[in-house]
Amino acid sequence: MFGSEILEVAIGIIFIYILVSILCTAIREGIESWLKTRAVYLEDGIRELLNDKTGEGLTTHFYNHPLIFSLFSGGYEPSESSKLLTRCVKGTNLPSYIPAKNFALALMDIAARGPVTNAASSDPYTPLVCLDTVRMNIANLKNESVQRVVLTAIDCAQGNLNRAQANIEAWYDGTMDRVSGWYKRQTQWIVFGLCLAVTVALNINTITIVDYLSQNNEARAALVKRAIELDPKDSASPDLNYDAVKQELNSMSLPIGWTAGWGAPRRAGDPESKIGTKSEWWNDIFAPFLGWFMTAFAATLGAPFWFDVLNKVMVIRSTVKPHEKSPEEASEDRQFPTRQVEETRNTNPGTGQGNIGVPIARTGLQANGVGVLPYHWQTRNPMDNESSIDGCDIDISTRPATSDEELPAAEGGVA
Amino acid sequence: MIYSLVWLPQVLKSAGLKVALVDGWESRGRGDVGQIFGVICHHTVGSKNGNMPSLGTLTRGRAASNGRPALPGPLAQLGLGRDGTYYMIAAGRCNHAGEGSWNGLTNGNGNFIGIEAENTGLADDFPWPKVQMDAYSRGVAAILTHLGRGADCCAGHKEYALPQGRKPDPSFDMNAFRLSVAATLRGTAPPLTPIPAQEPPAQNGGHGGRVTLRRGAIGELVQQVQKKLRIPADGNFGPKTEAVVRAFQRERGLVPDGIIGPKTWVELDTVSGFYELPPT
Repeated sequence: MFGSEILEVAIGIIFIYILVSILCTAIREGIESWLKTRAVYLEDGIRELLNDKTGEGLTTHFYNHPLIFSLFSGGYEPSESSKLLTRCVKGTNLPSYIPAKNFALALMDIAARGPVTNAASSDPYTPLVCLDTVRMNIANLKNESVQRVVLTAIDCAQGNLNRAQANIEAWYDGTMDRVSGWYKRQTQWIVFGLCLAVTVALNINTITIVDYLSQNNEARAALVKRAIELDPKDSASPDLNYDAVKQELNSMSLPIGWTAGWGAPRRAGDPESKIGTKSEWWNDIFAPFLGWFMTAFAATLGAPFWFDVLNKVMVIRSTVKPHEKSPEEASEDRQFPTRQVEETRNTNPGTGQGNIGVPIARTGLQANGVGVLPYHWQTRNPMDNESSIDGCDIDISTRPATSDEELPAAEGGVA
Repeated sequence: MIYSLVWLPQVLKSAGLKVALVDGWESRGRGDVGQIFGVICHHTVGSKNGNMPSLGTLTRGRAASNGRPALPGPLAQLGLGRDGTYYMIAAGRCNHAGEGSWNGLTNGNGNFIGIEAENTGLADDFPWPKVQMDAYSRGVAAILTHLGRGADCCAGHKEYALPQGRKPDPSFDMNAFRLSVAATLRGTAPPLTPIPAQEPPAQNGGHGGRVTLRRGAIGELVQQVQKKLRIPADGNFGPKTEAVVRAFQRERGLVPDGIIGPKTWVELDTVSGFYELPPT
């Protein structure tokens, strides 16, 4: 029947691509769990975001902030190596995901109360995290570009702390999208390498399989039947694991594997099954390599992509065979739904999640009202190593007391 | 390098206060200060003897001892002696405040001026000398006026320091202190009466009309005083003479400022023959 045979071959091939994709993704996840590439990428993204290339400044304070510190075990030590791969191989205990809310809260807290966690920054009388104190102590961040971003976020919030927080979260989310992009690109290369290795190792040659399926009706029918059984509704997260997939591949009695040697695809001594030319050069060298590359490239596109294609092909096929009509399925949009932070916050100010304290006038600073700056807002000295020391309780016994004779001459006070 | 707070002595002197400059004050500091948001008041927990026994430590810092690490000086921009003299120690940043928060500001060392007043912090030194308290509130008011800020920008170290209770100084009531600062800022406080430059004219054949003497003075009057106080009578009012005058004033219940004004002249007149220095 015209159309049907080609489509059935296509379905068979797609099914095999799906299986190879899942296999490679499973291996990739296995490697990921060992290398923790996501965490390294996230750290790199945070460094980029905080404009702290070496990771020794704000990034260290950020990772050591209790809100972030609790997300991973151990402590944060900035890696000297700027190479991502070196950092991946060295291993890391950092989190592979940091919620935007934690990021924004930690940043504002560092700005208001200083980077160090100690008795003073955890005291009930420590400054409130409100727009005024964040602005006044902004130099605590010791990072001009981040200070500017936070100030902008505050200014655009029109006196609403939650909105300022949402602004910072949006900034973080934007950068994290880019980090996902970097990660995806790198992963694609790794997955391609894995696909190629798996393809060659299992000798999954697209050309040979097409050849085999187009000639072998029973095998084709069985494969298509198996492909249709695969519920496309599960396509978002195919819960097939490595072993199941490998078993599936083995059970299909396809011309894969090395049992028949290098030229295995073609049954030995059956010249009719040979494709096109009879040239040995094509059959023994070019075709296997081309076939492997085709499989590897196709599998790199990922199982979700091939599930979608399979769905489409099913629809086409069902129009050819109306009595087997399958419900039409739209290709799934894999984008995460955009966050609705801004809206929920706006409709419910003051009670939204992440509300860390409505500014309370403790000192009269807020009494001036929003928009009126109580001080000249410039601080040139951020918190530093000597901000935490004082000599008020001076022990003058370590130095001789200054006698009256040693005092300098006084002026003034006499009319 | 000359640091930012070089305006302090002139501001204090203009308020009628006594100011003494410690050598090298203009370029002393842990770097420069940032924007100044106010004043933090301290007391030194120093010795009971002398006008400003902690001055050396405040200037040079604390040496390491008994397991406590060394603390680099200066430890405050200003020292306030028991006679109400401000000692100008440093125009730069000082290690006086440490961890804490006032009006939401957390960098006390960078953003506040520190004044260390000489006091033991104990019951033996309470209440504070009237002249010292008066100079304290007037000095703080003068600085806040210069900064364009109100009395709420003056904090006690015990109020600023975190965690609460980390510091006990100053030992007086800060709210009452701020009230008197506010009164000076408003101009409702009684004006400061400076020491007259000269005694009132003589009456009934007694002494009178003598000029007020202080360190740096020379002449016959100085010689007379030196003879009375049993020190080499070279007619030169130097540090040694000043120290002895302070001791005499302390003995007689006067303000021990080493300045021989009308009150000290009267006391000196009561000394017949030679004055015997009390053993120290």
